[in-house]
Amino acid sequence: MTDIRAFIAGMGLITPLAKGVSRNWEALVGGETGIRKLTLFPTAEDLFFPVGEVTATLSPTGPPRTHQLALMAAEEAMAHGEGPPDAIVVGSITGGMCRTEALLKEKRLDPSLFSYHGAGSVAEYLAVKLKCKGPAMTVSTACSSGGAAMAVALALLRTGKYTRVLTGGAESLCRLTYFGFHSLQLIDPRGSRPLSRDRKGLTVSEGAGMLLLEGKTGMADPDTIEVLGAGLTCDAYHPASPDPEGTGALSAMKKALDDAGLTPQDIDYVNLHGTGTVDNDLSEAKAFNRLFREKKPLVSSVKGAFGHSLSAAGAIEAVISARCVEAGMAPAGAGCHTPDPILKLRPLKESKKAPIKTVMSNSFGFGGSNASVVMGRPRDPQGSKPPLPASLEVVGTACITGAGSTSQTLDAFSNGLNCEGLLSEKEICQPLSTRSVRRLKRLSRMGLSLAVDAVDDAGDPKEPDAVFFGTGWGALSETHDFLKNLYETDERFSSPTDFMGSVHNATAGRIAIKFNARGPNITTTGGDDSFEQALMSAHLLATEEDKPLLVMGADEFHPVLSELFDPSVVLAKTPSDGGGALLLRCVKTHTEASSDPKLTPLFHETVTGNPHVMSSLIKCLGGSETIIADFGAVFAGLPAQSHANGRKQLDLFLKTIEYNGPVIDYRRYLGQFASASAVAAVLAVSLLKTGEISSALTENKNIHLNGKGILLLGLGNSVTAVAVQNGEGSP
Amino acid sequence: MTDLIHELRNKIIDTLKLEDVSPADIGEEDQLVGGELGLDSIDVLELVIMIEKDYAVKIDNKELGARVFVNLKTLATHIREMAPEGIF
Repeated sequence: MTDIRAFIAGMGLITPLAKGVSRNWEALVGGETGIRKLTLFPTAEDLFFPVGEVTATLSPTGPPRTHQLALMAAEEAMAHGEGPPDAIVVGSITGGMCRTEALLKEKRLDPSLFSYHGAGSVAEYLAVKLKCKGPAMTVSTACSSGGAAMAVALALLRTGKYTRVLTGGAESLCRLTYFGFHSLQLIDPRGSRPLSRDRKGLTVSEGAGMLLLEGKTGMADPDTIEVLGAGLTCDAYHPASPDPEGTGALSAMKKALDDAGLTPQDIDYVNLHGTGTVDNDLSEAKAFNRLFREKKPLVSSVKGAFGHSLSAAGAIEAVISARCVEAGMAPAGAGCHTPDPILKLRPLKESKKAPIKTVMSNSFGFGGSNASVVMGRPRDPQGSKPPLPASLEVVGTACITGAGSTSQTLDAFSNGLNCEGLLSEKEICQPLSTRSVRRLKRLSRMGLSLAVDAVDDAGDPKEPDAVFFGTGWGALSETHDFLKNLYETDERFSSPTDFMGSVHNATAGRIAIKFNARGPNITTTGGDDSFEQALMSAHLLATEEDKPLLVMGADEFHPVLSELFDPSVVLAKTPSDGGGALLLRCVKTHTEASSDPKLTPLFHETVTGNPHVMSSLIKCLGGSETIIADFGAVFAGLPAQSHANGRKQLDLFLKTIEYNGPVIDYRRYLGQFASASAVAAVLAVSLLKTGEISSALTENKNIHLNGKGILLLGLGNSVTAVAVQNGEGSP
Repeated sequence: MTDLIHELRNKIIDTLKLEDVSPADIGEEDQLVGGELGLDSIDVLELVIMIEKDYAVKIDNKELGARVFVNLKTLATHIREMAPEGIF
């Protein structure tokens, strides 16, 4: 059991209202609004809507806006810290899209210009700047990203492996979201008026919010703010619209309260997601009123002042919610002059002084992803939190590569044959109906197909409740087609379907709908270790899940964008893509263990500024003798972009532990795509079951594993280790 | 009007990638949204873009959309009435 509690040790904000937490707070309670005219990019006159644009001066020669905003907020949050954070978990949807789309428009197609494109590059940039050696994780669950990142950070702290975790979210205005929300008719041309009778939609915005969380045990300083609990759920209802009854939102709030050990009566203020769209505010109000039946807490949405900064919103509003407790005041909801009576809410029209001890902050997003966070003055601990699962056992697997689907890939790989290339969409969609995929493009088709096959492989009806999906680069086809349509029509028309499908978590949202999976639905992204991040998130958040969880990784090859974004693809001779899915059973105690193989994330560190990373890895794995006793084979992930460094790391590792067993460089067979490690995990599970690695892979003789496991190493810019081992119930 | 309805049938199938639907399957008075075609609000928005692009007719709010996207006939009538001169 874990008794570790998370406290806020620092906070930072940059928003359209102001720079810095104090100034933001003063401006917010003073009734100011940050919603103003767009200046970042030109638009046609009839498509000119107000936005929340940050006015602080940014460097024209620095990294993209998102990264600069993230760093400003992070530096403020770290100002009183003692050295770097141990880990970073950031919410990001569009990463460096603002720059990417300008480059694409100007047809400047030099891959070196796109090095900050990835949503994961924001966390990686912060890790370098703040000298963080631990994992730099990115949660990309659309508009709930900031809140979901906090939930992951809280779970990381509770493991006790990390003491200081920086978390938050950052977002820059860009054409993709501006024209995307317009195509969905979700923008209020007068600026958003959340919860009001005449609300017409949201206002897209930008900014960053960061919180430094510290894990401690024992007595708490009564003047600090504690992150008491978090709840993650999925609507499993629609890719872009909330469940009209707010059922997913309600269960996220309930889970957050349960996690905090509190009841609805304990909440003094709720910072609503409150985007200002007709549907969001209505479904959230229903959820609120279903939860808070007797004592109604104070309530407001601050998006009338900040706008909706998408992946940053959850983090910015968490900072504001924490500030409410410090200040003993709840902020008014700008823009809400006449509350909509249908909502049956009493949103604050004026900022109000009140004894506020405990607050709740909600964030919901596309894909039906919901995050709710509870913070407040420290309370007497309500019992220990559940520990990490004893293990995650594999009950079903599936993979896709250029060689084909699962059985063809297994066949080719175990015979040492090439699996590079691109599987035709017809073959990818084989387990899916024509109608179910008509609006999906390559990545979502692969993801849905993998999920269906993995669940099918498990035999009995073992449908998942939670989905953890890692993707290095997300839905490239939708992103490309959206921008292509936009630019071809002089920035007038773009496809709402492409916009909806362009978010990284669109695939996981689709999978949730398919299986009615209403538990946590997390998409992680970060280049070559995206799958490992998904597995780590699953391991952290699986503790409460009784039903199986899907852990997956997939990436699509796109003829224009892949070479611009992923340096490994440029170096590849054959364009390749694919993915892997594992249906896992969460085993909570050793006595529940079966003989099914188990998958355990063991290590995750970034390489920059971390010269002793391989010694840390060996130490974490238990030292030479333990590693050799535990593992009969090593699967090495060596991305082409960092092959030389990866090779050096691998050689150092093997030499130090004096390992003579087989080492399989799996990308040689699978090709270059970010989530190749997800396929490798599926292949490792399969080989473990046969207990043998064929001579075709070892270039020598058949190797018997003799009950030992397979170690999956990710090398290059980050170093990860995942153990694939026989279940503890094995004879 | 018949020509426009015929044209719209093909455009709907193309725009929404209704691979398993043939033009003859969409009757003039068949319910467009929530009916057998399986169309939803996102499909309507996709058609809104197509109609503005190809016929210069804006359908920029839900209430208007609900009146226009009843069936092929109501859609064609609205486009006929609202399209600027020279479109047809």
